[in-house]
Amino acid sequence: MISLTSYAFVSMMLFSIGVIGVIARRNIFVIYMSIEMMLNGVNLFLVTFARYHFNMDPQIVSIMVIAIAAAEAAVFLSVIILLYRSRKSLDTDIFTILSQGEKS
Amino acid sequence: MVDFIFIGLSIMAIAGAIAMIIYKNPMYSALGVLISMLSVAGMFALLNATFLFLVQIIVYAGAIMTLILFILMFLNINDEDLPAEPKKFKLIALGAAVMIPLNVLILSAVSKLPEKDLSITETDFGDIKPIGIELFDNWLVAFELISILLLIALLGSVVLAKKRKSKIKKQGE
Repeated sequence: MISLTSYAFVSMMLFSIGVIGVIARRNIFVIYMSIEMMLNGVNLFLVTFARYHFNMDPQIVSIMVIAIAAAEAAVFLSVIILLYRSRKSLDTDIFTILSQGEKS
Repeated sequence: MVDFIFIGLSIMAIAGAIAMIIYKNPMYSALGVLISMLSVAGMFALLNATFLFLVQIIVYAGAIMTLILFILMFLNINDEDLPAEPKKFKLIALGAAVMIPLNVLILSAVSKLPEKDLSITETDFGDIKPIGIELFDNWLVAFELISILLLIALLGSVVLAKKRKSKIKKQGE
């Protein structure tokens, strides 16, 4: 029988790998996919506890999370296209126009 | 039987996530994320969430990851455009050192909870109809707000992606 802890282990692993990806990588696509991975881990945790308590509210919350991720995808990817067109790079370290204006 | 499916799915999910942060080329990273999301969808099916299983495959694997792959191919990124990441593995070790105590804390808290049977049931738990009734009974305001959010995201992406004179200074000018 699969225990609650094994599901929690998988979802925490996905979440942690997402956090590590945001910390360690500089490619903006990988950072975006890491954020998606964190949302996925949280979704798995919510659905596990929905089954554990036999209650459907967490599943509704994870549907909301998926909808927000879809909205985020549209805006984020158009911002990436704009930045890539103007800077010809995917490095997050040079996307500093909001903080440093005239510099760089 | 279900145990072996779960073990295979979890190994695939974690391996896909690790492939995402290891590979330098974002195309391989996107394929790793795709594998990971499909495995999570399989786990949703094991947890009796049939509607979420469908939504995960259609929206995440079908729409979002396809959009990312499309944009990656559309931008046609060369290897020299990719950022150099000399400190990647050092930072991965640092992040793991931060996240492992949190993992141990949460997993020890979860393992103290009383065990319940999490196997697949014959009831209609997680089907489309009960989910819809639940959604429109108790979560109507959130549902409407989500629809407004999606509309605003649509408008925002159209406005951002519109062809116009860029005010951002080009590098090297």
